[in-house]
Amino acid sequence: MAVHQVESIVRSTSIEEAWEQRRREPHASRFLAGGVDLVLYAPPGVSTLIDLSGLGIDGVRRDGDDLVIGAMATLTDVLESSLVGKATDGFLPRVLRQVASPLQRNVATIGGAVVRAHPWSDVVPALLVLDARLDVFDGEERTVDLADARGRSEEPFLLVLAVRIPTAQRGVRAAFEKFSRTGFDVATLNCACSARMECGVCRDARVAIGGTPSVARRLPRAEEALVGKSLTASVMATVAQAAVLEIDARDDRRATAAYRRRLADVGVRRCLAALAGKKEPGPE
Amino acid sequence: MIRVTVNGQERSWNARPGDTLLDALRREGFVGVKKGCGTGDCGACTILLNGRAVNACLVLAVKAEGGAVVTIEGIAQGGRLHPVQEAFLEAGAVQCGYCTPGMVLSAVSLLSHNPDPSEAEIREAISGNLCRCTGYVKQIAAIERAAARMRESR
Repeated sequence: MAVHQVESIVRSTSIEEAWEQRRREPHASRFLAGGVDLVLYAPPGVSTLIDLSGLGIDGVRRDGDDLVIGAMATLTDVLESSLVGKATDGFLPRVLRQVASPLQRNVATIGGAVVRAHPWSDVVPALLVLDARLDVFDGEERTVDLADARGRSEEPFLLVLAVRIPTAQRGVRAAFEKFSRTGFDVATLNCACSARMECGVCRDARVAIGGTPSVARRLPRAEEALVGKSLTASVMATVAQAAVLEIDARDDRRATAAYRRRLADVGVRRCLAALAGKKEPGPE
Repeated sequence: MIRVTVNGQERSWNARPGDTLLDALRREGFVGVKKGCGTGDCGACTILLNGRAVNACLVLAVKAEGGAVVTIEGIAQGGRLHPVQEAFLEAGAVQCGYCTPGMVLSAVSLLSHNPDPSEAEIREAISGNLCRCTGYVKQIAAIERAAARMRESR
């Protein structure tokens, strides 16, 4: 359905100009990326959209040891990028194939996904375990943590320019599990884990769970339980239990808190089994 | 004013800023673009925008400025149905027909990027197009048939 309150759409020719236009109307304007979210969840009182097409922030490139994904790249662009596939050992494409339908992935952008950061977002936990950061403009260009962009479509707003993923570390493995009623549906709970493997021992462990039903966040105690350990069945069970205790599981229309805790346990163990190169999860 | 190419013809629309492509296309007479859920769930409004299948209900019309749109009305050539349309008819993949334009365009998009898809890839490609009549077996068979025929004719 039409977004009736929108009265004008402005095309900017530079990042600075887009920022200035947004600053002039902080309450009545929004940046327009793919636009999926703006159509579905039109924010009240917003009458001006500032279209970010044409600012040249849509490609995928390497910048030294970093993989840099332009904010306006669609999820399909990212999924099909050989640079992304190679740099993340196929992890990010595997995750994105589980996000919505191809029809939506052809429109929705990676920048929109990190700014909106819906509780059920599959993109956020995947980027968290890759240590992704964001190139942003808020009067000047700088790089910020992923979490700093959540909900920043409103004041104090950020213009996200790119997602920056470090790839210097060798031997990093990552895995993702999504629980939903159908592949198309949003996550009842999702889970991502990564670790740098050194002689069979986990280093730099990352564990993130989303859809609790809050947006994904990293779980430091679960990560601590993984660092310095080999991926045995008992370690996987210990890490999963730490994660279960650490998440803020709550009831909503999709699932009960108890069910979500069960999903978190299974999800973490499946991810860790995948990191260990095992197809099946360890014994329950 | 939005300038856009629809089914190969240049057009200028007086679309409102908040109009979706679905609103604009149907107002311009392209009623093969079906209005279903309006929330990107059913896929009845699927069109090709710059060669990619999208939900017309989730794309603002202004995003098509300078671009190329293809609707179900535009894929037959010289009075001859597109191979995907022919295969849908032959395989009995058309039931009530409401999902068919979207399903066909998702298949056209898939085959333009991947001429020899696996069944899993076909299933993924039409995962955003819901059929509430019978299911998906005949549609998948039709897309496999169209893919084989299009490969043979190359």
